[in-house]
Amino acid sequence: MTNSIGEFEDADLFLITGTNTTAQHPLIGSRIINAKERGAQILLIDPREIQLAHFAVLHLKQNIGTDVAVLNGMMNIIIEEELYDKEFVEKRTEGFDALKALVSRYTPKIVQLISGINATDLERAARMYAQAPKAMILYAMGITQHTTGTDNVKSCANLAMLTGHLGKPSSGVNPLRGQNNVQGACDMGGLPVVYTGYQRVNDPAVKKKFEEAWGVSDLDDKPGLTITTMMEAAQRGDLKALYVMGENPLMSDPDTTHVELALSNLDFLVVQDIFLSETARLADVVLPAACFAEKEGTYTNTERKVQLSRKAISPPGLARSDWEIVVDICRRCGYDMNYKTIAAILSEINKVTPSYAGITYDRLRTSYGIQWPCPNEEHPGTVFLHKDQFTKGLGTFLPCEFKPPAEVPDSEYDFILTTGRVYYQYHTGTMTRRIEILEREAPEALLEINPDDARRLGIKNNDMVEVASRRGSVRLKAEVTPRVPRRVLFSTFHFSEAQINTLTNPAHDPVAGIPEYKGCAVNVRRCE
Amino acid sequence: MKLLPKNKLVPIISSWAQRYTVLAPSSTEQGECVFDIFKEETFTLEYRKPSLPPKSQLLPQSDVIFRVEKGTFREVLPERNVLMFGIRSCDLMGLRQSSSFMSRDTQDIYYRRRSDHCLKVVMACAGPQNETCFCTTSRSGPSATTGFDLQFYDLGDSFLVESGSTEGDELLKAGNLADVDDKDTVEQVNALRNKAVAAITEVPDVTRAMEILSSRGASEELWERFGDKCIVCGGCVYVCPTCTCFTVADFPSGPDTGERIRSWDTCLYGGFTKEASGHNPRSTQGLRLKRRHEHKLLYYNQTDVQEALCGCVGCGRCSDYCPVHIGTLEVVKAIVEEQS
Amino acid sequence: MERIASICPFCGCGCQFSLVTENNRVIGVEPSPNNPVNKGMLCTKGWNSYGFVHAPDRLTVPLVRKDGELVESSWDEALDLVSSRLTEIGKNHGPGSLAFLSSAKVSNEENYLFMKMARAVFKTNNVDHCARL
Repeated sequence: MTNSIGEFEDADLFLITGTNTTAQHPLIGSRIINAKERGAQILLIDPREIQLAHFAVLHLKQNIGTDVAVLNGMMNIIIEEELYDKEFVEKRTEGFDALKALVSRYTPKIVQLISGINATDLERAARMYAQAPKAMILYAMGITQHTTGTDNVKSCANLAMLTGHLGKPSSGVNPLRGQNNVQGACDMGGLPVVYTGYQRVNDPAVKKKFEEAWGVSDLDDKPGLTITTMMEAAQRGDLKALYVMGENPLMSDPDTTHVELALSNLDFLVVQDIFLSETARLADVVLPAACFAEKEGTYTNTERKVQLSRKAISPPGLARSDWEIVVDICRRCGYDMNYKTIAAILSEINKVTPSYAGITYDRLRTSYGIQWPCPNEEHPGTVFLHKDQFTKGLGTFLPCEFKPPAEVPDSEYDFILTTGRVYYQYHTGTMTRRIEILEREAPEALLEINPDDARRLGIKNNDMVEVASRRGSVRLKAEVTPRVPRRVLFSTFHFSEAQINTLTNPAHDPVAGIPEYKGCAVNVRRCE
Repeated sequence: MKLLPKNKLVPIISSWAQRYTVLAPSSTEQGECVFDIFKEETFTLEYRKPSLPPKSQLLPQSDVIFRVEKGTFREVLPERNVLMFGIRSCDLMGLRQSSSFMSRDTQDIYYRRRSDHCLKVVMACAGPQNETCFCTTSRSGPSATTGFDLQFYDLGDSFLVESGSTEGDELLKAGNLADVDDKDTVEQVNALRNKAVAAITEVPDVTRAMEILSSRGASEELWERFGDKCIVCGGCVYVCPTCTCFTVADFPSGPDTGERIRSWDTCLYGGFTKEASGHNPRSTQGLRLKRRHEHKLLYYNQTDVQEALCGCVGCGRCSDYCPVHIGTLEVVKAIVEEQS
Repeated sequence: MERIASICPFCGCGCQFSLVTENNRVIGVEPSPNNPVNKGMLCTKGWNSYGFVHAPDRLTVPLVRKDGELVESSWDEALDLVSSRLTEIGKNHGPGSLAFLSSAKVSNEENYLFMKMARAVFKTNNVDHCARL
């Protein structure tokens, strides 16, 4: 997030797209509802009738995978009507002419043809966003989980820069991070192209810095594989061993049939987890880990705030903290690691990571967290990003053309399936499905289908249906609901009994490697 | 009544801590106040109501009520006697109502066991603790009339301490304190109480809303409007001093071993009333909110209310901690506004 | 009962609560009244988050596959196997034949050490996690 959660209280308008905020980030969602009550406007762009739709002054239901066209269309209107922030564009950005040229082709009529959003609504939305004094864009995986995920994100940024809704309090672009430390995992270099704090592996100066810090030579300077390409490499036989810590790719990755083949093709699979997950069942070695309550550590939330979590109890049986296990393996491999405490590890992170330099253990112990970038111990942390300039100086408009999803409905697979989450379950369900009360509230996978489609196919509420894509099929119960538009189906990936990722398309964004969970072509029939 | 100079407070609590697990207001490294095990170095008198009421001690959020080990049944008993220091009178009223409820038709033995082993030391309020306090309306404060073991009144550099039970008398023996049962003391206490009463705002909407609910009722639209924005966290129930609903589940860990655990439940979750057929008699969030608020303001059994006004003790937590402002104060206001 | 400050293990909001413990068991949560993220509030997952900690099927012993079955082992055996096999495969097929999946659910320190292990010890940038999923 470029802004902070506290800034929601002062925004005049929220453009919400691809986030079911009240279900997935409830304490951010509640702030949006409260904001509406104090007079802020909510502009929702989402194919589904989510809870926030009740509060939206305008709800645009775009065809799945047409976000770039919608955003370009809004920018076109804003430029045409001269509603953009000329001062901001002139002083802080570059590439405006290219943007203008590209988006000028996205007239309201053309956008209506692509996205199904009527031209008047689009115009209204564009004006509302542009004219709001302080506007925040919020998005989550509804924007990113597309083959055009990077383009979608760039288009959100283009829109914010064009209108000057960036680098100010309560104005910015705010991706909501889905897991409690997904921000931290990225910040800590759990990515194939960067070390901590997004320092690139192929930068010779960075390589040298880490070689010195870690007392090693010949660090790899080529970008590594992403999850999706790891699975492809395993299937080809190029990848021989995989060490998985606290993840369940067999449930969470697209096209699980192929993931299973890939994992089975490995010579050696290590899984470190708190439960014997679907992935752990395939492992050669399973290492029992401590859960969050049983260890100390810091976590970075969606607003870049690092917070300290304490150890409340000891782990069960012989289970050990993930960090202790890793230290032990490194030592057995002949690499000396001598950390005794979380504080010692964090102190090393402070030294090698400029954006975390001032986020020390002692400061976290006595505070409610510190937001990066925090370059030194005197720095209070950064509430919102890009205040006077962007990291790289001027913000460059990166205009994108609309591209359809990798798979679109045809006569054989005539529906588009979009996947997501429900309020009561979390990710692959490893934790929440063991919590009795949450499991009672959402005990099984449901397939949302529009009443018109259901009627046509003879499907009633709670009927068992079979959904099939080019990659497999799944049986689950139907929920007939106007929440989804016609020709769109929705389901979740929490339930191993109905592994929805058997169906999803592994086609991914060429830059970010993110798979297209939000749209694949399927058909559906009632089971006899 | 006894007079306890403030400099004798920590010594006397320390002496109680020899015999009891003392839970007292403590400040954390972050400067936050929680009710935690008494330690001299973290103990503080600068505190507000904690987010959880003391029911969490007698009806813990989750409680192993028995274990089965190799086919043998073993009950799990609380280990030590507990003394809660510094709870507020509204919360004490919450405990009194819950205790009555939990023993009305049958004894809830797990609750009872913890309750019997728990001493309550009340700190009378000198005024509102926050903007949402309305104990004078709900008749649960600012000080307690009965049900405590000890009650403290803050006189500035000392406390007046009132005993409410033989256990309370016993606790006071530790201090070797002066008796001050004269007319002046009674007047002093009354003056403190009156000052506190005057400082706490009356909320006439509560009684008006109760009248409306018992006659015409509130409109369906009002409840649905609240239902539309409820994010179904269950927080209002969890922080409520008088909510006691729980669910019970078994967790087998082998063919003949396992645990039975009961844990807090809430009527605001759809699954609470969903029937086996899939039908839910409280089908919308609005209906669930209606039931919860009518339970507090209308249906709560008279025998359980004690001398309070209703099933709400006026602690204000549901208004403090509802993410979307559907606390009792907001609900009664909406009910009254709708009728006028 | 004791209370220890913790961060909710679920979404990215980062709500703070105290874990309420009794006899080395987490029996509930108490939301932090002052943390500006949640101000004494939680969502349903947060309120119930303690519920999986003591699940009876938590992994408590290392497991090693022998004759096709996962069987209980000592830490020494399991860790020796992991370090020797990874070292051997790296040596025979090159660092690119190894890959490491880190986690959005573990701490910063653990993510840091895990990626340090992949890079400094096994010399590969094949490190990723499920940020995209």
